Amino acid sequence: MSGKSIVLENVELSLGRGPARVHILKGVSLGVERGEAIGLVGPSGSGKSTLLMTMAGLERPDAGRVTIEGEELTAMDEDALARFRGRRIGIVFQSFHLVPTMTALENVALPLELAGAGDAFDRASAELRAVGLGERLSHYPAQLSGGEQQRVAIARALAPDPAILVADEPTGNLDETTGGSIVDLLFALKRERGATLVLVTHDTGLARACDRMIRLRSGRIEADADAAAA
Amino acid sequence: MHGTVSGANPGSGSGTFSSLPLVLRLALRELRSGLRGFGIFLACIALGVAAIAGVSSVSRALTEGLAREGRTLLGGDLSFRLIHREATPAEIATLEDWGTVSLVATLRGMANADTGAALVEIKAVDAAYPVAGDLVTEPPMAPAEIFAEADGVFGAAVDPVLLGRLDLEIGDTIRIGTQDIALRTVLRSEPDKIQAGFDFGPRLLVSRAALDSTGLVQPGSLVRFTYRLDLAGPANDDALLARAQAAIEAEQPQAGWRVRSRLNADPGLERNIERFAQFLTLVGLTALIVGGVGVANAVRGFVDRKRESIATIKSLGAPGGRVVAIYLTQVMLIAGIGIAIGLAFGAALPFALAAALGAILPIPIAPTLAPVELLLAALYGLLTALAFSLAPLGRAHDIQVSGLFRDQIDPDRRWPRRRYMAGVALAIVALLALSVFAAFDRRVALIFIGAAAAAFVLLRVVATGLMALARRLPRPRAAAPRLALANVHRPGALTPSLVLSLGLGITLLVTLAVIDGNMRRQLTERLPDAAPSFFFVDIPSSEIDGFTDFLRAQAPESEIQRVPMLRGRLVSLGGVPVEEIAADPDAAWVLDGDRGITYEAEMPEGSEIVAGAWWGESPTENLVSFDDELAAGLGLSIGDAVVVNVLGRDIAATIANFRRVEWESLGINFVMVFSPNTFAGAPHAHIATLTLPDDAATEEAEVALLREAARTYPMVTSVRVKDALEAVNAVVEQLVLAIRGASSIAVAASVLVLAGALAAGHRARLYDAVVLKTLGATRGKLVGAYALEYGLLGLATAVVGFVAGALAGWVIVTRIMNLEFAMVWAGPIAAAAIAIVVTVGFGLLGTWRILSQKPAPYLRTL
Repeated sequence: MSGKSIVLENVELSLGRGPARVHILKGVSLGVERGEAIGLVGPSGSGKSTLLMTMAGLERPDAGRVTIEGEELTAMDEDALARFRGRRIGIVFQSFHLVPTMTALENVALPLELAGAGDAFDRASAELRAVGLGERLSHYPAQLSGGEQQRVAIARALAPDPAILVADEPTGNLDETTGGSIVDLLFALKRERGATLVLVTHDTGLARACDRMIRLRSGRIEADADAAAA
Repeated sequence: MHGTVSGANPGSGSGTFSSLPLVLRLALRELRSGLRGFGIFLACIALGVAAIAGVSSVSRALTEGLAREGRTLLGGDLSFRLIHREATPAEIATLEDWGTVSLVATLRGMANADTGAALVEIKAVDAAYPVAGDLVTEPPMAPAEIFAEADGVFGAAVDPVLLGRLDLEIGDTIRIGTQDIALRTVLRSEPDKIQAGFDFGPRLLVSRAALDSTGLVQPGSLVRFTYRLDLAGPANDDALLARAQAAIEAEQPQAGWRVRSRLNADPGLERNIERFAQFLTLVGLTALIVGGVGVANAVRGFVDRKRESIATIKSLGAPGGRVVAIYLTQVMLIAGIGIAIGLAFGAALPFALAAALGAILPIPIAPTLAPVELLLAALYGLLTALAFSLAPLGRAHDIQVSGLFRDQIDPDRRWPRRRYMAGVALAIVALLALSVFAAFDRRVALIFIGAAAAAFVLLRVVATGLMALARRLPRPRAAAPRLALANVHRPGALTPSLVLSLGLGITLLVTLAVIDGNMRRQLTERLPDAAPSFFFVDIPSSEIDGFTDFLRAQAPESEIQRVPMLRGRLVSLGGVPVEEIAADPDAAWVLDGDRGITYEAEMPEGSEIVAGAWWGESPTENLVSFDDELAAGLGLSIGDAVVVNVLGRDIAATIANFRRVEWESLGINFVMVFSPNTFAGAPHAHIATLTLPDDAATEEAEVALLREAARTYPMVTSVRVKDALEAVNAVVEQLVLAIRGASSIAVAASVLVLAGALAAGHRARLYDAVVLKTLGATRGKLVGAYALEYGLLGLATAVVGFVAGALAGWVIVTRIMNLEFAMVWAGPIAAAAIAIVVTVGFGLLGTWRILSQKPAPYLRTL
């Protein structure tokens, strides 16, 4: 595991139009090693989710450079970004965001299908078994508990074998026990695959489980330290 | 993300549609959520497609019926119609070389009875009648029994209308000309009825011998002799038919008869069916286009509901274009369901019509599945769905994945990307090209397209204007009007879709009301002051002076006009045989069948020369004056040769001038007026008109004059103009009914769209109502605010729809129907008023339920 997986250089980002425009990221620079796990923490409105989206190529910075796995995102057009995301980045949302009309299996197979994988369903099936949902393949999201839905979401994020896994408050909608098991699963799978993990959370305990903890305030990095020391 | 989907498809098998292309596969998966939110979409597409498919299928069934029943309708394989004269022995011999010949003679005459006199359409048949099909009478009687002579009295089968008109019963006797006729049975159906054309009076079916003894058949009287030839040889041998027709026409080139074959029994009727079907198709297309607004609204709502799924799929690596493709496929699959429903209804319509009304329809109907027509209707549906859903779907391309991380406050109001707008433009162009290409009359189709486009643009501008106006108006102090005004212009306001759907509906209703009113006015109220009270036809030359004196004695204050009258068929124009002339559709009727012609030394009244000059006192060559509009439609110029066949002779004349004719005056006038030398010595009858002064034109006076004329001059046929117009009116009524039927579908589509638009705004209303109730607003106040909002929108739209409809009605009345226009108010105002009531009613209906609820349960879910 060597070299930078994520490099951000002087990233500036504002959102909104006219008088409602807000300057969110103010000259953020950051490097994340391959296989590293970082926890992004900070108060509401500090810019942590926006920073996460910028790393995932979901927000385009107004200035600065974002390089992921050696590829510069700022140079890519919308479609190229979408394909890159499908191939290299797995996203886990706080609200799971499973497609309600698709079964667990189809949800997990979806990114593989979009990438043109011929064995999408076999791989999806294996991923679901890996998260302990081998018996739930044909269930629709509405037929699954919150914890099960988040497991499906993790399986879906990992199915294309991404280099980077980003997770936005992955336990925010779950009770403590379920949240704990989801975190354990996420870290175990991350380790197993050697993926880089970027985690946004309000829970400092969860952030401490990461290798590094980065604290944001008002769009700037306030602290960046070894998680164990933070 | 929530939602329940039933019908799990486990495993990686066929339930995942894994063998299908990705876009289709994902679209099918998304369809599992069912058709919720697509009710209006489906209804709009199904309704429009059903209207178009239904009209074209029925039209096809009728033309098919005409083709299949050609022999029955024609009374044989070939028919040869002569006017004024019977066929010569040589001509009959030529026909008999090919098979059995039968003869039917038709003319108008007066039926005299003790109880009064009435115009009748007489049909005289020979012993072979009917050659094909059945003569149905009540009580059933054999033809020989009906027509037999007993003690100098012949028998007849009679249309029950005549019995009612003259207060007669079966068994009574009437007098036709100089012959007594016993009414032996009621005529229910003649197999060759359609050949009779337009009827001014009830039918009287007699034998040829009876007709001969009436004395009505005189030189020049308006009798049509139709010889029907039943070919010897195998039945339905089309090659034999063509050979026989060609040989007979070659052998008797001068006969001047109108030839029809069983394959082409009534081309005029067929043309009219196609023309009317096209008109109704355009009305159906209106329904589809009005429904298109509902489609667009439904798709906009669909994209809004699917924002999360769209963003999720994009987050997993689908580029925007692919996402649009997935949802477009889904929408088109749903449109396919709507189209299939519409096609099923449309295709079933001729079968249902045949089952329900087949026996009483005046035209044979042969219900059949019409694949080309159905395909066309499906294409219309598909293109409409595409044209109206591409733009709202195109917005899915730019739905941000970031919306999954934070609430999107600002819904994307930008235009969809250029490629989607280009797609919309392409679909619209294809839709227009299809409607023009498939049109019977392309000019009408183009006018329709122009009008539809203008209505759309106008209503869009009106909606934008209303919103801008509401934004700029000073804020009222009272809460209810302030809320109403704000609702008109706030982001996501109902204004655009409500104005568009309601506006199109009102425009259509007002247009129809204006056309309807003008047609009725033209036919009934707007009789010109100088319009005659009577037409007298078939006045023998020997009797014309006596008859004129008789009329003067009967109605001394009246104005009498008389002219010679012959009938002739056009043979060629400018050296081109009429069969080869590509005439303008408005002028084609002149070439079909026989035309009344006259000769005059002086220019007839109600005419004005627009080119050339009237002839001098004694022209040396045969000259003709032609109606200028028809001449233009036929591509004629001054100096062109016109050949007409009159009494079996081809007569050539040169066009000396074009006249503009005021047909509306209902005076005697003719398309062609010849110089007197052209018909010197030809036997002919006269036609006369009598115009009673206004104070004398009472019902009693007219009926008394009719009766006296029929009694004194039984050979002369009297047509009371009011009766004739009533007969025309009855036909127009039926047409109007059909138009209203088809239009009600378009109006239903507009109501559907309106209901859909109001339902879409339901959530915003619910939010307002609950919050305002929480803050202390009473139900009365809220109802007032909503009523004011819907009332304002309804009123503004009604005014615009009224003006647009009146304008469209004016264009159709003056440019397409070539009638004089006068604004009619009652119908259109009623239409607009109903529209306002419907809008306010629908709107309040939706909110009333909300207002009756306690706010707490809603507040928890808002």
